[in-house]
Amino acid sequence: MNSSTVTQVNESSLPTVIVNLYQRFGEASFVRQHTAEGMPTLWVGREKIMGVLKYLRDEHRPRYEMLLDVTAVDERTRIHREGQPAADFTVVYHPTSFSGNCDIRLKVALQMDDLHMPTAIGLWPSANWQEREIWDLFGIVFNGHPNLTRILCPPTWKGHPLRKDHPARATEMEPFTMSDEIQDREQEALRFNPEEWGLKRRSETSEFMFLNFGPNHPAAHGVIRFALQLDGEYVLDVVPDVGYHHRGAEKMAERQTWHTFIPYTDRIDYLGGVMNNLPYVLAVEKMAGIKVPQRVETIRVMLAEFFRICSHLLFFGTWAVDLGQLSPLFYAFVDREKAFNIIESICGARMHPGWFRIGGVAQDLPNGWDKLIREFVDYFPKRLAEYETLVMANSVIKERARGVGSMNTQDAFDWAMTGPALRATGLEWDYRKNRPYSGYENFEFEVPIAVNGDCYDRAAVRVEEMRQSCRIIKQCLNNMPSGPYKADHPLTTPPVKEKTKQDIETLINHFLSVSWGPVMDPTEVTQTIEATKGMNMYYLINDGGIGSYRTRIRTPSFIHIQAIPFLSRGLMLADFTTVVATTDFVMADVDR
Amino acid sequence: MSWELVKPEDSFSTSPGMNQFDDYIRRNVVMTTLEDMLAWSRKHSVWPFNFGLSCCYVEAATAISSRHDIARFGAEVFRATPRQADMIIIAGTVFRKMAPVVQRLYEQMMDPKYVICMGSCANSGGMYDIYSVVQGVDKFLPVDVYVSGCPPRPEALLQGLNLLQDQIGKTRRPVSWVINDQGVYEREKVPVQRLKRRAERIAATELRSPDEV
Repeated sequence: MNSSTVTQVNESSLPTVIVNLYQRFGEASFVRQHTAEGMPTLWVGREKIMGVLKYLRDEHRPRYEMLLDVTAVDERTRIHREGQPAADFTVVYHPTSFSGNCDIRLKVALQMDDLHMPTAIGLWPSANWQEREIWDLFGIVFNGHPNLTRILCPPTWKGHPLRKDHPARATEMEPFTMSDEIQDREQEALRFNPEEWGLKRRSETSEFMFLNFGPNHPAAHGVIRFALQLDGEYVLDVVPDVGYHHRGAEKMAERQTWHTFIPYTDRIDYLGGVMNNLPYVLAVEKMAGIKVPQRVETIRVMLAEFFRICSHLLFFGTWAVDLGQLSPLFYAFVDREKAFNIIESICGARMHPGWFRIGGVAQDLPNGWDKLIREFVDYFPKRLAEYETLVMANSVIKERARGVGSMNTQDAFDWAMTGPALRATGLEWDYRKNRPYSGYENFEFEVPIAVNGDCYDRAAVRVEEMRQSCRIIKQCLNNMPSGPYKADHPLTTPPVKEKTKQDIETLINHFLSVSWGPVMDPTEVTQTIEATKGMNMYYLINDGGIGSYRTRIRTPSFIHIQAIPFLSRGLMLADFTTVVATTDFVMADVDR
Repeated sequence: MSWELVKPEDSFSTSPGMNQFDDYIRRNVVMTTLEDMLAWSRKHSVWPFNFGLSCCYVEAATAISSRHDIARFGAEVFRATPRQADMIIIAGTVFRKMAPVVQRLYEQMMDPKYVICMGSCANSGGMYDIYSVVQGVDKFLPVDVYVSGCPPRPEALLQGLNLLQDQIGKTRRPVSWVINDQGVYEREKVPVQRLKRRAERIAATELRSPDEV
């Protein structure tokens, strides 16, 4: 097996996209920055950024079809910014190309006295929420944005939490109290006002009803609120309201060390367990230059795929409940328990093991692990076949889900939909296949796709993905490499214990390594994976400290929720729950 | 009020030391007071509110579903509206933006109502000492049972439920046609399990090795 290699920055030859941009806009328009993962990174002036993005989307070959991420950085307390333009804040755009299988990172420097940017909604509608998020968390204004309101913090919040001068801890702030006045004020602030969203209260023939679907609703799949504009039973428009699950994970990353942030990643997509550890530890390993042993890669893949099965099973069961079938949920939970038993016997915990480490995993596989997994891989495909008969072949389910909430591939690009939702539109794109990481290139598996991009297809793709995950697990089982479970590298955290007991020098190194964790040269790095729900990306900026200066967690769920209004306009209210279920979001993955 | 379960096939064999008639009466007639009967019924029919906040709710849902089956304890009637529920499980992190909503939902429940606080976040904020998280739901709600864990296993939630049920079973409600506050709403505190089980726990000398499945 080959290991994934860290891409080396080649100084002599420029990436094609940079050559093209230099030709089109002039080399003087850009400042190039080198990063650890070698992704083309350019600083652009604010007045030119929209032109550059438009060129990349429409004229450049290959086209950059999707705006994967937009985020910002508070640069005011940086120490190492050698060679970068002066900036108090930076806005970072991350367009991605599916046809060319490449990415580019564009940065715009802003000064404190002029925190304004043009909006990118005209190019990609998916930029809407990310720009609102940046305004909420950093206080950068996007000119031309239709609803630049708070999205993650409560509407009454003062300040912008991801600024470096905003307190991080709840215990640094005034203690939380809830008097009647505060409760009334906060409740009043949450009242939905249709006019703010440009929604009419009546048509010529009927008066519309506004329905709060959430923030606590049995079919809402978490603490989210949809304000529905209804004409009788028909959904005219939807305004999703998120932020009820904002746990400040990105702020948390700024005060944890590289090592101690790992458990927080588990809780981002809380159905994804250790799969969330994967992009984070891979990103840190890129920075540290650690190449992990093949056994580590294979163990990681195996557990990540177990969590994909667990997550998809939960989706499958709850989706069937939303369509009126109760029993599939109980079957799905039986199988989840079987998978959790295995996960627990390997990692010691069920949902949030936090078991991957920088440069390895926490411990070796226990004796007898293979027997448990062999039982599972023999048992599970038969169960999946039963589920397909029970749910997917059920005529009521077909009737309820086919042709409901359809989107095509271009819509998916516009709304930055990734994962099963993108594949359901017919695009055969899987990060594990197209840009293998952690040794996925060594496994045989299919990338399931569908044609219509409707609710039924999104579910069908996930069912087939479970089968493929089971196939990958079987290959891990049959070909588990022997060898160490940690890389022999000085930055592996925690370091191998046996090496501490030689002399005082090794003991001191061990002590530093355990208390601080790795200390690496300032740089930045991204790592994307095919997570349970779509593309999950960690963008880490290292300023030379013992932890991250800025951690950006690009989660699929946050972006996907934005597309729900697009998918549900004109549907019946009962179909709306199908759209919500097949979007398959987890609120912790939305609000982080 | 004492009672026991017997297997159907045993129903015609006489208990040791009893004649057949007395035994038949014992198995078919319950002598109790109305107050005791009421307490017993309430203990075994706690209706939970279908409410969840984050990760812990997935483990709570696991406790409801097939393997763990909360119906064994008479608490499976999950209500989608707080007005029909006796008990709310605060399963997950209590967020600043969500707190007024939680408060309102709690207020909408009918008395007597109970709160099980599930998981570290709801207990104390847990690992999230961060600007957007309330450091424990007891900052604004009265909590009857704290269940520890991140997230707690489904079995832990079921144990929490049992502790709450024991407490409910000990409480006597007024039995009267007069509908008013009759001053009998004192509830007993659930004993702290950490103190109760301490001796037993520190006596453990052999722990299971993580090297075996």
